[in-house]
Amino acid sequence: MRRVISVLSVLLALAFAFPLTLTDDLGRTVTVKAPPKRIVTMLPSVTETVCALGACDRIVATDDYSDWPERVKALPKAGGLYNPNPEFIVSLKPDLVLVSKYGRLYETLERAGLTVYAVRTETYEDIFRTTRTLGKLLGLEAQAERLVAQIQREVYQEESRAAKATTRPRVYYEIDPTPYTVGPESFIGVLIQKARGVNVIPKELGLFPKIAPEFVVEKNPEVIVATYPGALETIRARPGWSRVKAVQTGRICVFTGGQDSLLSRPGPRVAQGLRLLVDCFHGR
Amino acid sequence: MTRALPLALRRSLVFFWLLLLLLLALVLGVAMGAVSLPPGEVFQALLGLTENPIVTEMRLPRVLGGMLVGAALGVAGASFQGLFRNPLADPYLMGSAAGAAFAVTLLASLLGGLAPAFAQHAIFQSLPLPATLFGFLGALSATFLTLVLAGGAARTGELVLAGVVVGSVLTGATTYLMMQDADRVRAVFAYTLGNLAFMGWPSVKAMVLFFLLALPPLLLLGRVLNALQLGEEVARSMGLPLEGLKLLLLLAASLLVAAAVAQAGIIGFVGLITPHLLRRLLDEDYRLLLPASALGGAVLLTLADLLARTLTRPAELPVGVVTTLLGGPFFLYLMWRRRGRA
Repeated sequence: MRRVISVLSVLLALAFAFPLTLTDDLGRTVTVKAPPKRIVTMLPSVTETVCALGACDRIVATDDYSDWPERVKALPKAGGLYNPNPEFIVSLKPDLVLVSKYGRLYETLERAGLTVYAVRTETYEDIFRTTRTLGKLLGLEAQAERLVAQIQREVYQEESRAAKATTRPRVYYEIDPTPYTVGPESFIGVLIQKARGVNVIPKELGLFPKIAPEFVVEKNPEVIVATYPGALETIRARPGWSRVKAVQTGRICVFTGGQDSLLSRPGPRVAQGLRLLVDCFHGR
Repeated sequence: MTRALPLALRRSLVFFWLLLLLLLALVLGVAMGAVSLPPGEVFQALLGLTENPIVTEMRLPRVLGGMLVGAALGVAGASFQGLFRNPLADPYLMGSAAGAAFAVTLLASLLGGLAPAFAQHAIFQSLPLPATLFGFLGALSATFLTLVLAGGAARTGELVLAGVVVGSVLTGATTYLMMQDADRVRAVFAYTLGNLAFMGWPSVKAMVLFFLLALPPLLLLGRVLNALQLGEEVARSMGLPLEGLKLLLLLAASLLVAAAVAQAGIIGFVGLITPHLLRRLLDEDYRLLLPASALGGAVLLTLADLLARTLTRPAELPVGVVTTLLGGPFFLYLMWRRRGRA
């Protein structure tokens, strides 16, 4: 009897929830008539969140870079941010397409009559905001609240582990050898802070500045984190960098081959990314 | 003002100013940067009295390396313009720089599959010498392709059109190769807009080596370029083995382009503007124009890089953005003034 009531109440809630009208991250008004059953996600972090909500089987295609959980690797791929394949997306007849707020893919898909919701996943807070929004869109609000609580609990565990450390190392984080780095207010910048590291980059430089190498040498970071292949050799070979403490003590953490996704995607696996940083800054 | 002076005096003055500016660029380039250092400290570090790797390992080689890259582009631009008797022939517009970049990237991506570190190395560190020679072949092939497509160098419009098309196609191919690795969009920017961030002593040594190879023939052939300006018939009638000498000029200029691209990526406008500016002051004498373009290119790129690394410090701008933003309007100003006079 209780089960029947709970099923009924869910159905009732759904009946009232849909059609649902929301404002997406581009400020567009989007109406979803019924809980979507054929979803295309064009952002790896959104793919991860949809699956973490237990709706992986509703996804019919993803962008080229979505690779977690394992089962989405087998799904058809509809291109990336710079080279999306709108014709293919339309041919799949999805009832919801989740796209990045960057790029103009939504215009094309909208003209083709599809329901398109643009998402921004850039900051740490975006993880929870997006999870709740997707919960609403998919009719999985209770699951979304549970997922938010779970992610926050996992993050808290890592934060308390980091809090036990007695030192806060100076950190330089390199996302590309040009070199591009991360500012304190970027998603990775927030993770560095949560892992009890001190980013050597001032926040005035913005989210992803191209930094002057001599500035990094002057700041003399104790730990360097890099997320591209061959980073160790590249950084060690740079003129003048042999004097940097992190290079001298060998405290250069290189995360590639999937680990970098944990740090670059504001999604449900954020605590795993944070764990990498805590281990790197303070040891296991 | 300078026009009123006798030619010989004017020419000496131009070289005097170029050397003075070069010295100024050197001093400013080493004294200023993302990190503020007192002049005394910089001076002591240079003399070896105190140890400061920012001065001796980073700024000094970066400034010297930038000078050599700028000089290479300047002198290559002057050679191309003289060789093809075309004021718009420069390494950038002829597709030569794009050819070198494509060849280097192709090599990096072919070997990169075996060792990812090499791909990084090729773009952001001093390139191994054999790879520069590969770039040299790329520069040479692209130039020949441009010449074939344009039906020779004589027709200005066709030459520029063919050069721009060859350059665009090759840059497109380079971008494609780089994008094979996800998240390399920034690397593409670094390469197509130039990057002097990691010029170290190995880069400086490599540039010096290529200069020693390429500069003597170019400077000795200034007389041939002068003769060429009178037309091939006249040059041939002077008893010059023209085809061989032209090939030698092309080889030497392409080698400099390849060396510059291998160390710093593609940097536009230096090779176009420098000879133009100096030609107005020195007249059409390539014996002087070639060394002056080397000096001028060195000054121009060093100052552009100084702006690139101090305007938004401690962040940096791509140096190609600075050369284009400064060089473009300046070039248009020159054109406008010339039109006003004509």
